[in-house]
Amino acid sequence: METIGFLMDGFAVALTPYNLMFALFGAFVGTLIGCLPGLGPANGVAILIPLAFTLGLPPETAMILLTAVYAGAMYGGRISSILLNIPGDEPAMMTCLDGHPMARNGRAADALAVSAIASFAGGLIGTIGLIMLAPVLARFALTFGPAEYFALFLLAFATLGGITGKNPMKTVIAATLGIMISTVGIDISTGTQRYTFGVLELYEGIDFILAIVGLFAISELLFFVESRMGSGRGKMSVGKLSLSFRELVSTIPTQLRGGVLGFISGVLPGAGASLGSFISYTLEKQVVGRKGTFGEGDIRGVVAPEAGNNGASSGALVPMLTLGVPGSGTTAVLLAMLISLNITPGPLMFTQNAEIVWGVIAALLIGNVLLLVLNIPLVGFFVKLLSVPPMYLLPIVTMIAFVGIYSISHSTFDLYFMVAFGVAGYFLRKLEIPLVPIILGLLLGPEMEKNLGHALVLSDGDWSILWQSALAKGLWVVAGLGLLLPYIVGPLLRRRMNAAMKESPVSD
Amino acid sequence: MTRFGDRILGLGLLVLAVAYGWAAQQWPEPFGGAETVGPETFPTILAVVLVAGSLYLMIKPDPDAQWPVGKSLMELVISLLVLLVYTVLLEPLGFVISTTLAVGTLSWRMGAKPRYAFITGLVSAVVVFVLFNYGLALSLPAGLLEVN
Repeated sequence: METIGFLMDGFAVALTPYNLMFALFGAFVGTLIGCLPGLGPANGVAILIPLAFTLGLPPETAMILLTAVYAGAMYGGRISSILLNIPGDEPAMMTCLDGHPMARNGRAADALAVSAIASFAGGLIGTIGLIMLAPVLARFALTFGPAEYFALFLLAFATLGGITGKNPMKTVIAATLGIMISTVGIDISTGTQRYTFGVLELYEGIDFILAIVGLFAISELLFFVESRMGSGRGKMSVGKLSLSFRELVSTIPTQLRGGVLGFISGVLPGAGASLGSFISYTLEKQVVGRKGTFGEGDIRGVVAPEAGNNGASSGALVPMLTLGVPGSGTTAVLLAMLISLNITPGPLMFTQNAEIVWGVIAALLIGNVLLLVLNIPLVGFFVKLLSVPPMYLLPIVTMIAFVGIYSISHSTFDLYFMVAFGVAGYFLRKLEIPLVPIILGLLLGPEMEKNLGHALVLSDGDWSILWQSALAKGLWVVAGLGLLLPYIVGPLLRRRMNAAMKESPVSD
Repeated sequence: MTRFGDRILGLGLLVLAVAYGWAAQQWPEPFGGAETVGPETFPTILAVVLVAGSLYLMIKPDPDAQWPVGKSLMELVISLLVLLVYTVLLEPLGFVISTTLAVGTLSWRMGAKPRYAFITGLVSAVVVFVLFNYGLALSLPAGLLEVN
């Protein structure tokens, strides 16, 4: 088993005190980001990128830091779901259904503890899946030619909205806008200046880091200002832990089912963590049947979605690491970090930058353990932070975004650009144009153009090469389905998800 | 339910797509002669896709979102101005002073008491400044506070 050997090398990288320190720091900050109001995981990771960059961290350390933040944010999302009935991020939505009733029944501490354990189990199952599946997929991906890659990128965009997405056309528009922004600058293959308007700062193209930070962080601030939700929420009490060992053991099958289902939906394009936790929850309800008290604070109703969404978050790393095609907003931001570290993501990364890939995977395992250890004793601390009103928090977060961008280039030109992206992000979000495809377009645009060029050089200008091989044909079909299915299946699934939300007695 | 938002966006995107596509056709032929994929090929495809997308938006727009009016709009404009003024003043005034003002004003406008707001601004500014300049050795502009 060469995988085991690589994994051991990975542990050797991740377990150096320096990297371990950053993993711990990342896990801590990630949980904070996950549980703080108005700071989703993608947003949080985005703000940390410029910092990781300016700190001059070595690539593997930077990736370990951000992966730990990513895993941590998934843990943190559940805290506000359980205590406040407000999901910290979208995948944590299903945790509200039974988590909040449990808290109202005076079992908040139990719900938090058991969800931390479920998150750990889900993350662990997902990471094991990642370890087994990623090398296989990477080897398979080596057979991809430029035409297949071009089709794969299309697939990534087409499925990004997810099957539950509202308007696939808006995803297409967003992706196109992102790719268009990426064409600004000097064309790499011919040296032609494109859309630079003679502005020196545009010659090198638009830095996607400032676009990401602007689109996410600044637009978030503007949304908060508009809704004036600045005053925060009342204090929360957690109560005592009364979880019995037997009860914990009884949830083990649920944890396994949830983790596996979550992982699968994380790997699949277009499914993602939200669907992962939804499927885990509904399946659990089916399996347990009438014996359960779902919706009224059943412990399994907390375990299933949490195991599901953490399994999915590890699963989502599979396409990102092996193909260089992320399936979610946060993994897109992680990809941005890789690209800015000058590492070409994709199958070659497994051979050329093996220490980074396996270091990250090992860090994910270690991160999960750290998170479990951090979460059980520190839950009270995180809960206290939940009552920090956003009116103090968001201005500080915005300031940190400014500092991060400024410290990359020491030019205020970039800051104006970032604010402009923030304003654009605000308008686009208002018009329900999703931001993640824009980011992905920015990141993948140059690669897409390069592969198109290579494919056509190989075929001597014959465009049909793009859909000639069986593999490419398959990718085109899946991409087409990704755009069509939301029209057919989407309304149905969305109705079910909403129905599930309504069934739960949401009183406050 | 009005549906103006998407229509206006669609129109704007259509103009953008046409301008973007048109500009791509104006570039001189690259040195070494034309190839199947020149610098203009990919942008042209993108322009076509965006034209199609914008037409779709205008034909089948979604219902409008709630747009801010009156007070919330004012607050939004104020926040935006704060961000711009912050950028302008960052270098001349220095990090600590400009950050105190920016963070303070923002959190005051978001509903904090002015005193607490500006204390938050000052404390966060000093902490970040010290952390960056001494801890991480990344220099933020000291501005007026510069000691020569």
